Amino acid sequence: MFTILVEYAMEAISHAGTVLAVLAKDGVVLAAEKKVTGKLLDLSGTKEGGYGGSGEKIFLLNSNVVAGVAGITADANSLVNYARTAAQKHLYSYNEDIPVELLTQRLCDLKQGYTQYGGLRPFGVSLLYAGYDPHYKFQLYHSDPSGNYSGWKATCIGANNGTAQSLLKQEYKDDISVEDAVALVLRVMSKTMDSTTLGSEKLEFATLTVDPVTKKPKSKIYRPAEVDALLKKHDLAKKDEDAEMKTA
Amino acid sequence: MDSSFAITGKGYAIVAADMTVSRSIVKMQYNEDKIKVLGSHLLMAFSGEPGDTVQFAEYVERNIRLAQIRNTYPLPPPSAASWIRRELADSLRSRSPYSVNLLVAGYDLSTHEPKLYWIDYLGTMATVPFAAHGYGSYFALSLLDRYHDPEATVEEGLATLRRCIDEVSKRLVVTPGKFKVKVVDKNGVREVEL
Amino acid sequence: MSIMEYNGGSVVAMVGKGCVAIASDLRLGNQALGISSNFQKIFPITDHIYLGLPGLATDVTTLKEQFRYRVNMYTIKEEREIEPEAFAHLVSSTLYERRFGPFFIEPVMAGLTKKPSGEYKPFIAASDLIGCLNFAKDFVVAGTASSKLFGVAEGLWEPGLEPEDLFETISQTLLNAVDRDAYSGWGAVVHVM
Repeated sequence: MFTILVEYAMEAISHAGTVLAVLAKDGVVLAAEKKVTGKLLDLSGTKEGGYGGSGEKIFLLNSNVVAGVAGITADANSLVNYARTAAQKHLYSYNEDIPVELLTQRLCDLKQGYTQYGGLRPFGVSLLYAGYDPHYKFQLYHSDPSGNYSGWKATCIGANNGTAQSLLKQEYKDDISVEDAVALVLRVMSKTMDSTTLGSEKLEFATLTVDPVTKKPKSKIYRPAEVDALLKKHDLAKKDEDAEMKTA
Repeated sequence: MDSSFAITGKGYAIVAADMTVSRSIVKMQYNEDKIKVLGSHLLMAFSGEPGDTVQFAEYVERNIRLAQIRNTYPLPPPSAASWIRRELADSLRSRSPYSVNLLVAGYDLSTHEPKLYWIDYLGTMATVPFAAHGYGSYFALSLLDRYHDPEATVEEGLATLRRCIDEVSKRLVVTPGKFKVKVVDKNGVREVEL
Repeated sequence: MSIMEYNGGSVVAMVGKGCVAIASDLRLGNQALGISSNFQKIFPITDHIYLGLPGLATDVTTLKEQFRYRVNMYTIKEEREIEPEAFAHLVSSTLYERRFGPFFIEPVMAGLTKKPSGEYKPFIAASDLIGCLNFAKDFVVAGTASSKLFGVAEGLWEPGLEPEDLFETISQTLLNAVDRDAYSGWGAVVHVM
């Protein structure tokens, strides 16, 4: 019965917006395809304040972990809240940032519980965790609705994840730098996304590196304007068709 | 009446604790080990109310071990010390508080440096280059102010510790007797004869 | 012997012209015996708030960690930094939670509030050990040297001090006050915002 529910959840996730991540030697890169779009959507709150991003796909879980989610957004919000609380409780008990694998385990213990106890449905969410800790340095994990998790060098969840995975397999090199990983992520993303053009209204983007001065992990969730600038730099920006029509 | 000392040096920390167990004016035992080895690179000297000391030390020992089994890697010294401090701070305001004073010393494998924490039964924690608990602290701390050298070798560190123990043996009304001495460095924990 | 004087230590905060300063000693003692000359009592809360926690050292650490937890949860949920006024009330309610078994700490806060016009307004506050707030306009003191700090600060402080002069004023106030207090001293730290 519950295995069926988990299967359903996994099936639902394979139609969700793509989330893609690559582990580099000096950082982790994360990108996600947004599904809730349209010119009537009010994104004025994402321009400033907060910690960046538009809060649909990429979330800051702790100062050393950024996560990308695929699946039921409402469930994801609840998991993100749980993860943030768990991370702060660890900081409170041990006076250290929670190790990335431990945070992944915390969420997976919760997810597993919902596959086992009666009367509940599982969380319809898969996550990618990009993080840093002193034990294993930069790390990338994936967890699914059943509560399984695994570590990756590069991986993808959501729609077209098969295509993206095989592209990543072809192009990934050990010892890749963050800079090259950013280019790789954008390239694969542009090939796997349904839409023909890339723009900040369809894409969320984040990197996790270590600050060379403080030696502390530094996450950067790109704001819409920064995403557009990045796409332009990599020559993947969408052609502004409306503008062309106006001038014509 | 128990005394414990600890110092850090170049790439190591040394912990020393007396070995006597006394009840009132009687020495009940003279070969008690009051320094727990909490992990491959972590030491903890404990003193205070008899009964509380061993009970709390074993509680800490097993929780640190559990964390290591669960996570596959040990808690780094700063995290272990912070957790131990919180246990004492919470205990202080519980129905039956532990009366245990600690010196936690370790070698941090991620930053490659020794760490030393002075912790008392209230949950007060200080990161220090050298530390002492008990009546011995009144003599030892001033000696260590004068002779401690953060760049000293293990041999020089042991000599400084020897001064402290000699002074305490000379000046304290009741001589603490033998001392157990343990060293922690990048190679792990080892016991040394002074 | 009062619990408030068991470990020793003092903190002072002052208002300047478009700036604030907060300073403390670095001693940790066991009554008259000095244990550490590097015990931090002032903690950064946000980019615009510092919190000083003089009092019983076990509660200094516990409260520092508890405020970090609560401020982090506030920041991540609100998606913005906490304002000094709001933080002062967080401090107050955290202490009052323990009204009948208090933390033995008398907190001192210093911060800058951003006004809609874009300029920063100085903010200082102090609280007793059960959370009664005191929003002073000039300076606040706390700790084992508080009586001495009051005297020196009263003599040295004046309104409208520029950052450099404020630094000098708060430094001299702290240094001269702790020299007359056996339980404070052993080094000092000053923050100017």
